[in-house]
Amino acid sequence: MSTPARRRLMRDFKRLQEDPPTGVSGAPTDNNIMIWNAVIFGPHDTPFEDGTFKLTIEFTEEYPNKPPTVRFVSKVFHPNVYADGGICLDILQNRWSPTYDVSAILTSIQSLLSDPNPNSPANSTAAQLYKENRREYEKRVKACVEQSFID
Amino acid sequence: MDESENSMDKQIDDNDGTKPEKMFTLKKWNAVAMWSWDVECDICAICRVQVMDACLRCQAENKRDVMGRQDCVVVWGECNHSFHHCCMSLWVKQNNRCPLCQQEWSIQRMGK
Ligand SMILES: [Zn+2]
Ligand SMILES: [Zn+2]
Ligand SMILES: [Zn+2]
Repeated sequence: MSTPARRRLMRDFKRLQEDPPTGVSGAPTDNNIMIWNAVIFGPHDTPFEDGTFKLTIEFTEEYPNKPPTVRFVSKVFHPNVYADGGICLDILQNRWSPTYDVSAILTSIQSLLSDPNPNSPANSTAAQLYKENRREYEKRVKACVEQSFID
Repeated sequence: MDESENSMDKQIDDNDGTKPEKMFTLKKWNAVAMWSWDVECDICAICRVQVMDACLRCQAENKRDVMGRQDCVVVWGECNHSFHHCCMSLWVKQNNRCPLCQQEWSIQRMGK
């Protein structure tokens, strides 16, 4: 029952409660420590400011040797977020390290919101607007910020 | 204190003179200083348990040796980062790099 992955996730949760990073929060679902719900608050001084973006994180028994699957539940208009909420972020794929924990994952996603990487786009419209029409990009982002209140 | 232990090992390994070796060791000390927080606390960054205690996997399986002690050793890389041998051997199967500094992983020593 209490596998190494589950024990590690318990430690991640303890660390998240004792030393909470600003602007993110997360907790395991009631009946399954392998599935977490998390919220990232849009970073200040970015068009995402004031948004509350919900995510799910799914771990396997291979955690922390394998990264979890992280997905936005809230709609996020961002160059590195797919239409289904999947996130294109190197540390969740080929640059994963077993030293990362939930707190590190959530803060990395939060900084991705502030600093998109338009060169590896998951949403080509968002990437193009980000590069060529920042006003329109910000308008589209603000629309999801408003949507995130209702979700 | 960890650092001086390492350099002593080095000197025993290479008996011939300490001059060129010393410069090399000093360079390494800089790298250790950058990660001093991890080194001082001696926490295995993979499972987040102190390296002197058994790793999470051994705790879960409650592995013990004949003396009834938990038998889970520490491994130090050439980069001076330390982990539980159990934790590191699972990771290097996927990626033979130190998870903290991304240098190629090679074992400097093992023990308690
Ligand atoms: Zn460990
Ligand atoms: Zn062990
Ligand atoms: Zn290292």
